[in-house]
Amino acid sequence: MKRLLAATAALGLTAMAAQAETITIVREVDSDRYDPHRTTARAASEVLFMLGDTLVALDEDMQTIHPGLASSWTVSDDGTLYTFTLRDDVTFCDGKPMTATDVVYSLERWIDPETKSPVSWRAGDVKEIRAVDDHTVEYELDAPFSELLYQLTQSFAIVIDPDDVAALGEDFGVKGLNGTGPFCWDEWTPRTEFRLTRNDAYSWGPALYENRGPAHVDEIIWRIVPEENTRMAAVVTGQSDVTQYVPYNSLAMLRESPAVDVHISDAAHWTYFMGFKITRDLVDDPAVRKAIVLAVDQEAIAQDIYFGEVTPAFSYISQGALDWNAALDEELLRTNLDEANRLLDEAGWVVGDDGIRTKDGQRLEITAYGFTGSTWQKLFEAVQADVRAVGVDLQLQLFDATIAWGKLATQEFDVFGMSFPYISAGDALNLYFRSENMPTPNRMNWDDPETDQLLDRGKTAVDPAVRADAYGEVLRKVHEAAVWIPLYHEPMKIAQSTALAPVVPHNIYGAGLYKGLDLRFLD
Amino acid sequence: MASTAPLEVTTAPRRRGPMLRLFRRKGALVAAILLAASALGAVFAPLVAPFDPFATAGRPLLPPFWAEGADAQFVLGTDGQGRDILSRLLYGARLTLSIGLLSVGIGGAFGMAIGLLSAFFQKADPYLMRLVDVLLSFPAILLGLAVAAIFGPGALAIVVALSVATIPDVARVTRSAAVVVMGQDYIESGRAIGLSNGTLIVRYLALNCISTVFVFLTLRFGQVILIGAALSFLGLGARPPTAELGMMAAQGRDFLFFAPHVATVPSLAIFVIVLSANVLGDALRDVLDPRLRT
Amino acid sequence: MWQQLLKRLLLSVPVLFGVLLLGFMLLQLVPGDPAVVLAGPMAPPAVIEQIRVDMGLDQPLLVQFFLYLGRVLQGDLGRSLISNVPVVEELARTIGPTAELMLASLLWSTPLGIALGTIAAVNQGRFLDQAVMAFSVAGVSMPIFFIALLLMQYLGYYWQLLPFVGRGGPLWTIDGLRHIALPALSLGLIFIGPVARMTRTAVLDTLRADFVRTARAKGLRERVVVLHHALRNALIPVITLIGLQAGYLLGGAVVTETIFSWPGVGRLAVGAILASDFPLAQGTILVLALSFIAINLIVDLLYAALDPRVETA
Repeated sequence: MKRLLAATAALGLTAMAAQAETITIVREVDSDRYDPHRTTARAASEVLFMLGDTLVALDEDMQTIHPGLASSWTVSDDGTLYTFTLRDDVTFCDGKPMTATDVVYSLERWIDPETKSPVSWRAGDVKEIRAVDDHTVEYELDAPFSELLYQLTQSFAIVIDPDDVAALGEDFGVKGLNGTGPFCWDEWTPRTEFRLTRNDAYSWGPALYENRGPAHVDEIIWRIVPEENTRMAAVVTGQSDVTQYVPYNSLAMLRESPAVDVHISDAAHWTYFMGFKITRDLVDDPAVRKAIVLAVDQEAIAQDIYFGEVTPAFSYISQGALDWNAALDEELLRTNLDEANRLLDEAGWVVGDDGIRTKDGQRLEITAYGFTGSTWQKLFEAVQADVRAVGVDLQLQLFDATIAWGKLATQEFDVFGMSFPYISAGDALNLYFRSENMPTPNRMNWDDPETDQLLDRGKTAVDPAVRADAYGEVLRKVHEAAVWIPLYHEPMKIAQSTALAPVVPHNIYGAGLYKGLDLRFLD
Repeated sequence: MASTAPLEVTTAPRRRGPMLRLFRRKGALVAAILLAASALGAVFAPLVAPFDPFATAGRPLLPPFWAEGADAQFVLGTDGQGRDILSRLLYGARLTLSIGLLSVGIGGAFGMAIGLLSAFFQKADPYLMRLVDVLLSFPAILLGLAVAAIFGPGALAIVVALSVATIPDVARVTRSAAVVVMGQDYIESGRAIGLSNGTLIVRYLALNCISTVFVFLTLRFGQVILIGAALSFLGLGARPPTAELGMMAAQGRDFLFFAPHVATVPSLAIFVIVLSANVLGDALRDVLDPRLRT
Repeated sequence: MWQQLLKRLLLSVPVLFGVLLLGFMLLQLVPGDPAVVLAGPMAPPAVIEQIRVDMGLDQPLLVQFFLYLGRVLQGDLGRSLISNVPVVEELARTIGPTAELMLASLLWSTPLGIALGTIAAVNQGRFLDQAVMAFSVAGVSMPIFFIALLLMQYLGYYWQLLPFVGRGGPLWTIDGLRHIALPALSLGLIFIGPVARMTRTAVLDTLRADFVRTARAKGLRERVVVLHHALRNALIPVITLIGLQAGYLLGGAVVTETIFSWPGVGRLAVGAILASDFPLAQGTILVLALSFIAINLIVDLLYAALDPRVETA
């Protein structure tokens, strides 16, 4: 019997070696689509970075900008005109050469109001984007935008093929996407897997990679495995070669495992929080919000759910992020149950028989919307238990990621759970606190003209000090109003099979593998 | 045709070794004790449970008493959020058993009514039996999926689905038992002394079939609990923070490889409950109604 | 025989009707105006109105139901709310894997169950019988997810013998077989109990039958009597009963697929329901119900073909 088992095992190993040129990556959720302008999901970006290229690329240090599809660029002195010179050897997956027209089309589609891109603001206040000749693009702004090049490295700015968009119509990014990336669209089976095949013609990878193209591996399979435990086991048993979606509780064990290497990068700016819809009954009261924030025990969450592998968050963005307002460090709301109870008592909320507070016959019951999946399920349940201790009944309604985005665009919840990547304070604040971004992504309904002015000032500042001041003021405002419950700052963590060459985690939009050009098996 | 097969009635005498008989009795006794213990634990969960099943009580993922590093306070260990598993188990059994009892009760009542009416009013018989055949074409899991799709996941959805799934089989069993009773003299005599149809059905027919139906429902109980737990495991049943055994097992999956007890303890609990119900049902059948065989 | 079949087919009509009604109801649950959903966010009101008329959304519900029936007959089950992919396409991708899984599990568990049942019957009342029956009762009392999780934990993780995530290559390759092993093992395990139990009962019945006694009286060896006479005749009810367990198997398959990320209809159905993707949920439920009806029909056919008594009836 034992011999038989050994034989099957050996058989298995040879079977794996035979198809060694495929890399399987397991992850938790799928995206609702892969149209770069109509989704903001990390799950989409992960694939889009591999399917397509951007004019400029971001280094692992999250600071240096490398040439991408543009071999060089110039910026005018007033900071409003960017001129990009394109490479002339770039082709799409279908073999068609890429030209300036395609670039202009892609960027224009991004900001076109018809596209309804939730992230068009990231392109800055565009005056005009034009093709000067086949290999020159001019990007003209109404006002300077100091973050433009960083934004142009994001997956929203990948170059797509106009003919492809026209041919596929509503199926663009659902049944295909003709990109210029190191990998090409093979097949997407929603909620099961996404198959990418190598683009053999690829030779224009950015300089941050040792390998400029084509990619080492023939095929990449992004496989959806919702259960974190199964993902971890898949890595240990070699069914997944690399993934950033391993559970925290297994990191210690994975480090011990001879077949697995773990890489951690703290340069990631990715924060988990819950936000209040401050126009809703009950949570429109700052005292109630403050009490809830005070009731949540971030240290315990970081320790119990994440085994101390994440940084508990009391600030809305990482305190190490660009333009964080250090003056707020001492004023952040830290866990304090007594204070939370005192605030609620003071506001007239009386604890009832079932432990839940009431006031004038109304129960302190608030509804939270969020994502299904192990991460949010546990986070929500932990917060639910924490706030219950001060007499708040948090009702959870969790939705599959594919419809949660739609649900979160409604006005029917009191609290929502979300996590987001950012480069700087401005990046985060412009996304969440602009009044024009209501109801989504400004799901808080934070509607404050002064905030809008400050954000404008920060965004167009040419002087970094002015920018930091403006954003610092917005940070103070929103922290004082207790519109979020910050939960934790997530590091980038990648678990990989030791059969693979060491992977350097990237932090761009939380997509740890970025373009995947250096992914290869050791001999 | 095929659908009548599982309830085949046989009168052939069966020989049985004395050992088996003894084993059966002993097994039934143990099963009854286990089942009663689970039921008592579930009913008195608020009194018995050492901790709040919904609140963090200790360090997360503490192992149960038989494993190394256990904390005597938490006999069965703690789950991923540091909640006491024993307490959650008691509350979970409460919901799991309620779902089973309710479904079997509701489905049994409707099924029995259909079966009795079908046997008593022979004109209605073909129609009622066709209805039963139609219901029989929906396996319980499919009903569960459909109901969860329509009403959204929840414990209520499961009860509805499992009740409906119970109706057709009970109706068949009741009918075949009732038809035998109908052929006996006392229904005729009852009619002769001018008893109303209602009295006849309730006093005579129902009373004479009740033990058969009861035995069948006992046998069915285990299956119903299994399907309910499976639906909850899939996320189509009870919602957090309530505790339900199947759901607890699903949550335990996250720790399967280094804290397997979080998943195995509730799974084992389901196994024990269902096994007890099945063993007890088998024994009851042998004693009360040996004609019922599957 | 044909009469039986006809009866069965006629019986399927109300069932089908019920299933379709269910599907129609599910589609009514789609949030928002289906015409708007279908038209996409950029469509002008005139286009939406046109779609509304085309789809018959301006008609009373009853008419809409018949329009729905018409669309279903043409194989149009709508598009997934989530991936925008036609439901029929998603279904077509998943039916194969589900059928694979079910067949693979039946293939090993049914013969084993029949063998165990026969052994139990022949040794009625003795230790072997008790052991088989105890195993069988335990088998039908085990939650399928418990079995699957245990197998995954030991065979998949601790001993690393078999993969447990998704489906590999085409089924006939080594990779394909390795991937189906654990799901098929799990699903088959819950099936042995019922099959063994049913076989035992059926074989016991035939062992008491006259023709078996005659065979024994003729002095045939016990082995021949059991295998050639008793078991052969017992197979007829056993096959029927296996068919009846299709629902049970289906339930197990849904859980197994979900646990092992097996890309079948069951996993798709659960995902669609959890995601409130009503058109897709409708499609999966329709397909599952249809296959259940089909299996029952096939079982009847087999029963009629195997059992001479049905023909004369």
